[in-house]
Amino acid sequence: MKTLIDCTVNGEERSVLADTRDTLLDLLRDRLGLTGTKEGCGNGNCGTCTVLMDGAPVNACLVLALEAPGRDIATIEGLAQGGELDPLQQALVEHNGTQCGFCTPGILISAKALLDENPRPTEAQIRHAIAGNLCRCTGYGKIVEAIAAAAAARGR
Amino acid sequence: MATDGAQAGAAAPLKVLGRRLARVDARERVTGEARYPADLALPGMVHARMLRSPHAHARIRRIDTTRAEALKGVLAVVTAADFPELPVGTMIPMGETGYDMWMVAELNMARRKVCWVGQPVAAVAAVDVHVAEAALALIEVDYDLLPAVLDIEAALADGAPVLHEHVLTKGVEPRPKTPSNLCSRTVIGRGDTQAALGQARAKARASVRIDTAHQGYLEPQVVVAEVDANGFATVWASTQGQFTAELMIASMLGLPASKLKVVPLEVGGGFGGKIAIHGEAVAVRLAQRCRRPVKIVLSRDEVLQGGSGPAAAAMIDIEVGAGEDGRLVAIDGTYRMDAGGLPGLSPSLVMQASAALYQCPNLNLVGYDVVTNKPRTEAYRGPGGIQAAFAMEQAMDMLCERLGMDPLEFRKRNASVTGSTMPIGTPFPSIGLTTILDRVAEHSCWRDPLVKGNFPRGRGLALGYWRGTSMTSAGHITIAGDGRPMVTMGPVDISGTRTTMAQVVAEEFGLALEDVHIHTGDSKSVGYSDGAAGSRVARTATAALVEASRDALSQLRKRAAEKLQCAADQLDYAGGAFRARQAGGAAISLKELMAATLTDGAVIGRGVSTKLPLGVEIGAHVCDVEVDTETGLVTVLRYTAFQDVGLALNPAAVEGQIEGSVVQGLGWALSEGFDYGPDGRLRNASLLDYRMPTALDVPKIECVIVETPVPNVPYGVRGVGEVPIVPPGAAVANAIARATGVRMTRMPMTPERVLAALQG
Repeated sequence: MKTLIDCTVNGEERSVLADTRDTLLDLLRDRLGLTGTKEGCGNGNCGTCTVLMDGAPVNACLVLALEAPGRDIATIEGLAQGGELDPLQQALVEHNGTQCGFCTPGILISAKALLDENPRPTEAQIRHAIAGNLCRCTGYGKIVEAIAAAAAARGR
Repeated sequence: MATDGAQAGAAAPLKVLGRRLARVDARERVTGEARYPADLALPGMVHARMLRSPHAHARIRRIDTTRAEALKGVLAVVTAADFPELPVGTMIPMGETGYDMWMVAELNMARRKVCWVGQPVAAVAAVDVHVAEAALALIEVDYDLLPAVLDIEAALADGAPVLHEHVLTKGVEPRPKTPSNLCSRTVIGRGDTQAALGQARAKARASVRIDTAHQGYLEPQVVVAEVDANGFATVWASTQGQFTAELMIASMLGLPASKLKVVPLEVGGGFGGKIAIHGEAVAVRLAQRCRRPVKIVLSRDEVLQGGSGPAAAAMIDIEVGAGEDGRLVAIDGTYRMDAGGLPGLSPSLVMQASAALYQCPNLNLVGYDVVTNKPRTEAYRGPGGIQAAFAMEQAMDMLCERLGMDPLEFRKRNASVTGSTMPIGTPFPSIGLTTILDRVAEHSCWRDPLVKGNFPRGRGLALGYWRGTSMTSAGHITIAGDGRPMVTMGPVDISGTRTTMAQVVAEEFGLALEDVHIHTGDSKSVGYSDGAAGSRVARTATAALVEASRDALSQLRKRAAEKLQCAADQLDYAGGAFRARQAGGAAISLKELMAATLTDGAVIGRGVSTKLPLGVEIGAHVCDVEVDTETGLVTVLRYTAFQDVGLALNPAAVEGQIEGSVVQGLGWALSEGFDYGPDGRLRNASLLDYRMPTALDVPKIECVIVETPVPNVPYGVRGVGEVPIVPPGAAVANAIARATGVRMTRMPMTPERVLAALQG
């Protein structure tokens, strides 16, 4: 069964038909073609599908598309503004905080949620904020450094 | 001889190599634009799912797909009957040993019997995944259940049920006439180990068991296959080797190589688990049948529950002995590797690796490759290395305790050096182990005393060795109309290779990194290259692209000589321009040269590396832990990895490889292990229950890079990515032992196991 979903994605009003079985992740990837958000496990354990829903990070694979109407959703595609990388993205590039890249969008969204709420996090707070995002390539060190550097750059 | 480009290994200062530069593909990664196969949607594309065995060991009597085929929306159903039967020993080229296609076929579609839970038995293509799932439930498989063997002891017991009737143990004389679950026995030895152990002043023995762990790549296997009206198949895959995948798919389908190409997209982690195909040939067969593009995305449950190979479990016994002077006299080792449902890798490399770093006159290493009714195992980053080091480096540490010797001093006294005899009997090429040990001795991670904590703390040291491989890498460089090099490389990029190889070409051309464009070719647009595995790519691709750069520059030199009307050998090349050598000589930039000669035909420089010397990897790790004696939880407080990399092409990339590899090792050391039920089902087949390290579980890994160039390899590059996963298990175990006096004999060292060990 299909149903019409009206929601805001990256500041744009979207109206899209979704299967009632679709998750928010299916809606974003398969119906809207926003494939930057990844699926690593499908049951909320890896964090690769992290998006912001009304400003709060959620695992899009655990949210039904049917919960999206009226919500404001932000994905990795909306992070850079006018071709200009967000300081978090820039820091991840400069600190080599991305390797295979599969966890990167989710990590960036979790980090964005952190800095929006706490502009000067400690290392422990950064690690806590991305603890729901598994990364298998980097060992996390360069990601943590990058987020700290982005926070410092924002503060200046 | 007029040579273009930088002289490999010459003293000329490097301009682009050796610098800490951002990845050339970083921007698309942080914006979500990087394209993985799961992101692909083709017009008319349909979706396929695989039916997998619920049994660990069973004969397939009959498969009836009639009801599934009749379901509305189902477009094609295939089973093993839809693929040619490949006899045991149907080999395709792969590294030094080749790859038996019988195994690859079994891995992708079981024929006649199943040997593990999760082995595919049928596949369905349908209009959407929901219909495909529903159809799976309609396939009737009539199984004849067989008793299963789930561990090494059970598999080797007298009268054990046999997995494969054709397996007659190799390496045993006379060769057995009856089949068993012991696939091979491998012996490496010299001297008289038993006699030497009998006379040793001190001896130590480690008997350990290591659970199966998974590579844990975050991107599950995905394939999209399309077959055009002429029968030409295109496969987009998450693969470590497009050529290996092509050979496997072609063989499984009986398809000529000219009717197929494999396009490697971004790989969301592989670590050895994406060398073999997992569904690619099935997708092509389904696409042929339903005449629509077919996509298969493995679920995480499938990835863990038998749909893609984990790493081998092992039982390893090591006994070592030393004389009064603290010099090793003998190493005796027995390595039993659990390959899962199909014969595994030869234990030889693991055996060699674990003993290679010590000069020892008497060696007796015996390895066994055993099959059990569990998922067929595959390579995982330095395959077998961490398992063997967990035993060997603990045995060495115990020997130090018996001798009353400092573990670093003991390693220094017994360290292999350039020219000392490797376990296989040949001399070591240039290695920097003693340099590494000197660096450990002077580093604060070793010198600083442990700070007291609430619980016992200890410091562990462990060494790691990995041989790696070379095999074939190819690449070519086309000069664009603006004079810039456009690089097509053969090896798939799983470790930042595009960045380091763009650096190599920039260095050779005397250009800036941003002047070089680079991509990985598909299996029909670049020369044959083996997969990205065995720490071979950076070194061999460097050799291929140095050759390609020099070939292109030599072609450009001829054109420049014509334009500048002087002899080719009278031209100097630097920084993207040729200049006539005489005083006031005219110059022409590559941009001007290509603008002037664009219509003269393409400039394409070609390069290939086939038998490059090995770039053996050596590391030493120092680890501080705190052991919570109330819960058994082990916290890693500090971790430092020393490694000889030959030349760090890009130190940031090298550190990234080391840090990630160490953390994978720490995961296996402390929390990652497959938990099989008595029915052969994996009980922790999710990323919640299979516990990989999060950002909260590990400290920042410190890296200390040593550079001892490999002779006769351009820029002296060594492998990097594999060896850092080798020492962590032992480094942690040695730290636990020094904190608590308790030796851990099972990995992972979970809180439950540590607590049990502490309570004796």
